[in-house]
Amino acid sequence: MPFATIVAPCLWAAASGDQVSRIIQSLEKNLLTPIPLCFLLGIICTRIHGGIKIPKELYYSIAIFLLMSIGFMGGHELAHEYQAHGVSTIWKPALVTLFLGCVTPITSFVVLRYIGRMSIADAAGIAAHYGSTSAVTYAVANAFVEQSGHPANSFLPTLVTILECPGIAIALLIGAALSAKERARRAAESGKPARESKLGEALYEVITGQSIMLMAGLLVIGFVATIFMDPKGFQPFYDFFQSKGMLFRGSLCIFLLEMGLVAGEKLGDLVKVGPFLVAFGILMPLIHGFLGVYLGHLAGLNLGGCTVFGAIVSSASYIAAPPAVRLTLPEANPTLSITAALAITFPFNIAFGIPIYFEMAKWVGAQ
Amino acid sequence: MQLFSLKLVSVVGETVIMEDIAKEGIKLGATGYTMTEVNGHGSRSARNVASTTGARTMKVEFVVPADVAKAILTHVSHEYFEHYAIIAWLSDVEVMRGEQYTKHG
Repeated sequence: MPFATIVAPCLWAAASGDQVSRIIQSLEKNLLTPIPLCFLLGIICTRIHGGIKIPKELYYSIAIFLLMSIGFMGGHELAHEYQAHGVSTIWKPALVTLFLGCVTPITSFVVLRYIGRMSIADAAGIAAHYGSTSAVTYAVANAFVEQSGHPANSFLPTLVTILECPGIAIALLIGAALSAKERARRAAESGKPARESKLGEALYEVITGQSIMLMAGLLVIGFVATIFMDPKGFQPFYDFFQSKGMLFRGSLCIFLLEMGLVAGEKLGDLVKVGPFLVAFGILMPLIHGFLGVYLGHLAGLNLGGCTVFGAIVSSASYIAAPPAVRLTLPEANPTLSITAALAITFPFNIAFGIPIYFEMAKWVGAQ
Repeated sequence: MQLFSLKLVSVVGETVIMEDIAKEGIKLGATGYTMTEVNGHGSRSARNVASTTGARTMKVEFVVPADVAKAILTHVSHEYFEHYAIIAWLSDVEVMRGEQYTKHG
């Protein structure tokens, strides 16, 4: 498998024999569970022209449920954390999240532009995807740590919400600012006025988009309801959104099946994007993931929390970022960014990344 | 029954820009528009990204007088033809209640 031939040498370079065998054990434990296997089934189905078709309305309904559930349970747990410890356990992870949300688009842009020699628009467009996060990667990482008996800190959904926006905004600002000169030059040459910038509109769409509105909105609702409602009255809402994990994990299987179908279609584009972007789609998440794990540990996250945090920092957005990039940087080629995010980084994280971040978290001393 | 000769401006393109085109058409003199989700393939299809409802391609249609049609087509070609997956065409239509399609004042 191409991922193994790239990942294995990096693991050997960075780790001892013992650590590598622990990583491989974690990989096996992760891969042989329904969620990544449903994703794999989706990929296989597209490659053999199989007949699975998930109705579009079902897919988007599940997305709404997943986002609401993440937000609501996040708000509920945040309320408990706040009642027990005030903001003392939350402020450091929140600050680290904001910091990484600002740093990851910049590191991605620098690598793509100056090492990958990509155009400003393409580099900024891809950086906008990698500066943001994937709520589905959070859900899969969370399921992994719970199955491993190391649940993440309860306020992780709050960190997912914080991470959604700043990366996209910063990457688009970099792209718009650096390409403004080029646009003005082309406008002067052609005699037509330069195209009006849609940056403001794109940022407004990101902030008011479905992901943020549902996650942040339900976070507030879950928080307020936990604080002010009578526990008996609150219970049915808790039972629906938490559902002992059944509804959430079952829905996630269907969602990942559809993601596998989409990623499978995009595999053909791997040839078009070139080896640099394939390597970027694997190595950059590992670097960002390690940053997330390490800084998360310094900020006081537990083992499960560091793992999930590493996963969300390493992940790339493929829902909120693409329309924002299309509006602001239309010169950017969406094939590059969406293929990197969907066909390279997302499958890598689901299959290999999450267990690797788990071992990284153990290695830095998280417990 | 009286029929009025007007122009039908049809624009098919990426979902991300179609709302803007619809609003811009109104600003340029259209009194309304019709939007539909469509499916297809073209030379720039790879540029289409999905909206949160999954629609990648939309069609917006305006029934307008000839001068407004020209203004809309000029605006669309200038703003969007260079970088977006988009096509536009003009056809002749005959409509009832022609006064519905002209802005007054």
